Amino acid sequence: MMKHFMKMQFAVTALLLALGAGPTARADDVTLTVWSHEADEPAKVALREKAARNLEASHPGVHVKITWYEKDGLSAALKTALPAGQGPDVFYLEPDQTDYIASGYIVPLDKLVDWNNIYDWARQVWTHDGKAWGMPQEAYTVELYYNKDTLAKLGVALPANAQFTQSEFLDLVKKARAAGMTPIAQGVGDRPYPGAYVLAESLLRKLGTDDYGKLLNGQLSFEDPRVVAVFTWVKELVDAGAYPKNFMTLKLGESHHYFYQKPGSLMFPMGSFYTGRAFVPVDQGGQAPDFPLGVMQFPAMDGGACNECKTIAVGASFAINAASKHQDLAAEYLNALSTPEIGKQWIETIYLQTAVKTGASEFSGPYAGYFKELMQRQEGAKYFTGMPIDILQGQCKDTFVQVMNAGFPGGLMSVDEAVKTMNQGCFKG
Amino acid sequence: MAEPAAPPRTRIVAWLMGDSVADSRQAPARTILLFLAPALLVYAGFTIYPVLRTFYNSVHTIGPHNVQTFVGLDNFVALVTQDRVFWKAVANTTIFTVVGTVADVLGGLLLALCLFAKVPLARAMRVIWFTPVLMSYVIVGIIWVWLYDYDWGLVNLVLGWLGLESLQHSWLGDPATALWAVVVTHLWKWLGFNMIICLAALHALPEEVLGAAELDNCGWFAKLVYIIIPMLRPTLVNLLVLSFIGKMMMFDLVWIMTAGGPLWSTETVSTYVYKRAFNWNTFDLGYPSAIAVLWFFMILLFVTLMTRLLRQRDRVEF
Repeated sequence: MMKHFMKMQFAVTALLLALGAGPTARADDVTLTVWSHEADEPAKVALREKAARNLEASHPGVHVKITWYEKDGLSAALKTALPAGQGPDVFYLEPDQTDYIASGYIVPLDKLVDWNNIYDWARQVWTHDGKAWGMPQEAYTVELYYNKDTLAKLGVALPANAQFTQSEFLDLVKKARAAGMTPIAQGVGDRPYPGAYVLAESLLRKLGTDDYGKLLNGQLSFEDPRVVAVFTWVKELVDAGAYPKNFMTLKLGESHHYFYQKPGSLMFPMGSFYTGRAFVPVDQGGQAPDFPLGVMQFPAMDGGACNECKTIAVGASFAINAASKHQDLAAEYLNALSTPEIGKQWIETIYLQTAVKTGASEFSGPYAGYFKELMQRQEGAKYFTGMPIDILQGQCKDTFVQVMNAGFPGGLMSVDEAVKTMNQGCFKG
Repeated sequence: MAEPAAPPRTRIVAWLMGDSVADSRQAPARTILLFLAPALLVYAGFTIYPVLRTFYNSVHTIGPHNVQTFVGLDNFVALVTQDRVFWKAVANTTIFTVVGTVADVLGGLLLALCLFAKVPLARAMRVIWFTPVLMSYVIVGIIWVWLYDYDWGLVNLVLGWLGLESLQHSWLGDPATALWAVVVTHLWKWLGFNMIICLAALHALPEEVLGAAELDNCGWFAKLVYIIIPMLRPTLVNLLVLSFIGKMMMFDLVWIMTAGGPLWSTETVSTYVYKRAFNWNTFDLGYPSAIAVLWFFMILLFVTLMTRLLRQRDRVEF
């Protein structure tokens, strides 16, 4: 009898499991799936998980399952899952990935998401054909970090507006090299964009936002005299030994370490997401707590159309799968990611700008001073929205990666070769 | 009176065994099929279907929501006539394959001969030379990127110790040396494998033939050229073909070490296919599939030619 009872119990349990119903499951239980990049950034992981738990708390029966990826793995997974009609409800996306819009794999968020907590400019980054397709979370500007002590040792004072002229900057590079140090830590070993920071920011200041946009959209030739002048000046920097000898193989994480640890450099152009790697404990690869970090403006160009210009960009964003059966719930998760509370916590734990309106003017934490200086560098700035790598497509993007990001700053090409190759890849005129 | 129905287990066995079994040692086709089915299904799902799908995609443009437009040979024409990077990748892959294959097999044979001649510390050397084979490409790639680093890499450090500072170089950062640096890394990884295969073949050579050659006062070089290498020919041909195919499809090591740079100097066909498929902001797998199909036929052609050229016409008798 006992044996028969146990058999019955086993059969019932097996049936329940086969039907996907655990002992505590309810009929209205929903699991929202999220695929996110930035598995290696604990502060971002913590915030997104916190938003998930907040949503679960406010929506009983809802479970949020976040799968963490690195960018390449996520992209490859999405590009196979979405065409197969699979994929998560919500996924990480960046503004350059407009192919997801063109292919109809994501839905417009205008009516789904509460946009009151998102800055308008950041929403505009994701607006195509009058519709907003992604919910921006991370915002960043392109900054020129430097070591305050090293600059002082070279006997150079930062101008009041924190911006050197072209010739002053070239002299600074030469002075640093003569003193046996690397002027600019930078490497392109594992990223398609950092090598172009100085060149692209200089082009922006020389051309102004309109013509710079035209250049990136293939409507302005790279053989334009202003563009050639900037390439020529950057070539002087390269020839003066601005970059490390291992520029081609130095990886992004290593270049951070190169700047603030060993061997050390004077300057470090980087997105303001610098903090994600630098503001962690030293034994995890971060900068020393007393590291004399400063932020200066990229140099002013001679005859520059917009020397107060700088690049602002949206990074981490989230989109909703057009095939999702839980789009409203997915939108609720995006809302949970963009509350002022989460936005403030983003700034205080990641030390990076955000597209979320935080409503706070004062920030606490050990790096509040840094954040204040970063905000000072934004005063009076005129922004160009989007990194070149976010805007360029196809062959032009590949040419940018090989030439402006690597070959030219790596000293492998002349100005003439570089502008011609860029024109072949990008100019539509 | 009706016969009682056979129990289910008996019915299954009867179905498997078929109606008539002529030879009791031979399993019926149904049984063979049943046992092969799982493996065949996996093979069909993960090998046959992707291959057929790639062929199909290569003559289509894949639009949004998997809308496929037949474009005939347009992708192939564009590839052959307009794509400079593709031809650069073909040239790089060819250099990598030819040089790498010859160096791999010759190097492996030389190391095997060293061990066969019982040089001192032969056992230790066999282990040391074979160890890289056990490492993944990712690990090997990372190690060698460090070794080649301009500032802290061992290669430049050793050159510095030897007083050869003028030879210090950004090995992976210069288009003139990057491909060769990757070839050397690949050689380091696979030399041990070729060595072990050659060594096994050397040990399998008939003692009588080698002994007879020695009795005939045959010198070591003549013995190597006229006896050992001809008898190793099948092994060497197999190694050449395997090595050739592996290098024609080279992806992992290049991706880890240079991602095809600088200035496309290490771009291989496989890295280019990946970039076109996943890094070009498009869901169109048609064009990358065309590259893959074209390259498949090129590999097939080369392997067929190679096998014909190296085919042994006169079998060595002993």
